Amino acid sequence: MADRRVAITGLGVVTPAGVGIEDTWNLIVEGRKAIRQFDVFDPGKFDCRIGGQIDDFSARKFVPKNYRKAVKVMARDIELAVAGADLAFIDAGITTKGIGEQPDIDSKRLGCNIGAGLICTDLNELGQAVNTALVDGKFSLKAWGEHGITNLTPLWLLKYLPNMLSCHVTIIHGAEGPSNCITCGDASGHLAAGESALYILRGAADVVVCGAAESKLNPMGLLRQGLLGRLCTSRNDAPAEAVRPFDTSHDGTAIGEGGGLIILEELGRAQQRNARVYAELVGFGAACDPEAINVERPTAGNLGLAIKNAIASAGLTPADIDGIITYGTGVPGEDLAEVAEWKSALGDAVATIPAASITGALGTMFAGSGGVQLAVAAKALHEQIMPPTVNFTAAAEGCEMNFSSQARPTEMKTIVAGVFTVGGQSGACVLKKAEV
Amino acid sequence: MNHRRVVITGMGTINPLGHSVEDTWQAILGGKLAPSTIELFDASTFPTTFAAQVKNFDLADHMEDAEKHCHAGRHCKFALAAAVQAWKQAGMDNWADLDHSRTGVYLGSGEGSLDFDNFVSLLIDAWKDGQVDTDKWPILAKERMELYREVEQESNMVVAHLAAEFNAQGPAYNVLTACAASTQAIGEAVMQIRYGFADTVITGGAHSMVHPFGLTGFNRLTALSTRNDDIPSSSRPFDLTRDGFVLGEGASILIMETYEQAKARGAKILAEIVGYGASADAFRITDQDPEGDGAATSMRAAFADANLQPTDIDYISAHGTGTNQNDQVETLAIKAAFGDHAPNVPISSAKSMLGHLIAAAGATELITCVLAMRDQILPQTANLNTPDPDCDLDYIPNKSRKAEVNICMSNSMGFGGQNNSLILTTTE
Repeated sequence: MADRRVAITGLGVVTPAGVGIEDTWNLIVEGRKAIRQFDVFDPGKFDCRIGGQIDDFSARKFVPKNYRKAVKVMARDIELAVAGADLAFIDAGITTKGIGEQPDIDSKRLGCNIGAGLICTDLNELGQAVNTALVDGKFSLKAWGEHGITNLTPLWLLKYLPNMLSCHVTIIHGAEGPSNCITCGDASGHLAAGESALYILRGAADVVVCGAAESKLNPMGLLRQGLLGRLCTSRNDAPAEAVRPFDTSHDGTAIGEGGGLIILEELGRAQQRNARVYAELVGFGAACDPEAINVERPTAGNLGLAIKNAIASAGLTPADIDGIITYGTGVPGEDLAEVAEWKSALGDAVATIPAASITGALGTMFAGSGGVQLAVAAKALHEQIMPPTVNFTAAAEGCEMNFSSQARPTEMKTIVAGVFTVGGQSGACVLKKAEV
Repeated sequence: MNHRRVVITGMGTINPLGHSVEDTWQAILGGKLAPSTIELFDASTFPTTFAAQVKNFDLADHMEDAEKHCHAGRHCKFALAAAVQAWKQAGMDNWADLDHSRTGVYLGSGEGSLDFDNFVSLLIDAWKDGQVDTDKWPILAKERMELYREVEQESNMVVAHLAAEFNAQGPAYNVLTACAASTQAIGEAVMQIRYGFADTVITGGAHSMVHPFGLTGFNRLTALSTRNDDIPSSSRPFDLTRDGFVLGEGASILIMETYEQAKARGAKILAEIVGYGASADAFRITDQDPEGDGAATSMRAAFADANLQPTDIDYISAHGTGTNQNDQVETLAIKAAFGDHAPNVPISSAKSMLGHLIAAAGATELITCVLAMRDQILPQTANLNTPDPDCDLDYIPNKSRKAEVNICMSNSMGFGGQNNSLILTTTE
């Protein structure tokens, strides 16, 4: 087992910047921003009316003809995962049964591990049914049980089960190997990638499609994040400038929607087929903050320990780290907590190691953020460019790290990417530049 | 990568048959049946009017400072109580050397239930021209919805509460692969310990879908038994007259650690987990692979991981839901994975008595395997009176059985096709 190594050979990303890794990467390195006044539904009287919305997107394009009917039972989150997986396999040059007639991968050796959040039911769909069960203007459970429920499609529940992101992807691509669905909020993507790497290292799979996807750009998502006080409500008229990770004037985040899927592949297999290797995934770690049940106290999920664990599992030391992909939500308390975690893991070196957050450009994509960040980290190593942290002008007190609002060509052998979630879990991955 | 042995040293459970491991085991061996009319809400007009419910439960009976977790969801409180039992049995409460940074939590927990009354009232009071009125809804929602009630619906919050209760700072995961979740969590927790990411892990699962939308969802899928006229014996795995599963709720938590650590601190080892397999049917979201190939793949993967043969297995705790499809497919899968040996392996489904605890099912069933090995007795499949020609293996009908039990397999299969198998043994 010791001789098995894990390569990242495919990136599949759907974000407010567009469909495919190139759209997202180009928007980020050019310093453009995808946050705007959203119109996926009427923002009405919501306090925060900005977000990162994905336009002109239909999952139908990413599923084989004989599976298009199933798109009807896919919540937005599922659609993002399905599209991301398709893009990732194509980017990797791997032909699954969902992509071509002649698959070049053994189904039993193909795993799938896609993280998800709490998928919210479509309020209009459920509201239609609920409003048929009124007695004297009030909801009646008796009426609901008797006839209200028949107004929901029989497969209603299956639209909203978080494991359906993985399940649809396994069905489309014939992935019969290990399959999981991690639901640790925003930390899910990094945790899924680490667990998937372990599938490969311990020999349970040779190729794994992994990452996470989520969309909270819906009324319940806005409401809940608003109750948590995490959203920027002061810049509805200047959405592009609204999310300012680590900046002196950071004032909350905005909801983005996104899916980030990556293909992990046993390195020998990748080399044998002359695949492009973006990077190697050489270490991963996880941790949690036991005080995070108090959700009113900002947490970075004990990320420092996750980073230390990840670096140790790679057999490296903090001195080996050349680049950092932070989460950087732009929520003041979280930015502060996060920088403290990076400092605890890497010491004074955080002042000099080039670092970035992509959240200012895309918004907080919750579970999707982790997957997208890993894809961006792999691309950054491949291109040897540290992406910019948009809207960063000067560090807020306590947020001193080496950020820049400009893309920086940077010689990097290793990047650490870290992420955390409300609730207190965190994950970190160490990526290493592929040896040519 | 080094390969460390992983053992169970503590177990706890809150489920429809009992509020402790021993009470549950005695109820199972006594053939007690959990399903009863739903009392948590008025389900009298639903196609299914019953469930397997946890009754007379109060977290304060299980811990001193229960108030600390007052915001926790129903399933989370079950998990806390189960975890306190497991922690105590493992002797962790008085082991001063526990390394909290090497202590993880890996659960298969469900989502917290919706704030049903407020959620529904909003859909009615802010409804205009066939859709949600976004001028009115946000204002009413801010008035009526509470922060903690909303946040606790995220399925990672049970992990957060257990981490808080036991000051676990290490790797923390929640997985939600439907009905397979807690078996999967235990399997992946084994890997966390085996490969050195943690030394101690609090694992298992918790779930309650006994609420109006849970019942709605499963009734719409026609997955539930509708035997409203014979509620106690409504869960009939492998029986010809089975007509669906019985919705249940609960939590089961295990403390797992390295063999070396357990030995060094003198903990009593309850069992060792030696094999884990996972697979996906990759077939349909609504149906299992009719040949049972996916489930057989996960069983084979567990054999390979444990370096064991089918003939080594003394007992299988089946997924055995009591749906027409599952029990037939599972039978085929066991035949495929066990070959000629299939008819010789005793199999039973605890769901015949417990109901289906969804995400918490696998962990609860794993506990019954540990007890079967401890007491050298195999629990029965209750309500198995009319044999199904398609289910022709040894399901231990209606009566528990003395047997030599040293190695068990526990299987779970989730809606959507995720399958998981664990193999556990007694340890000298």
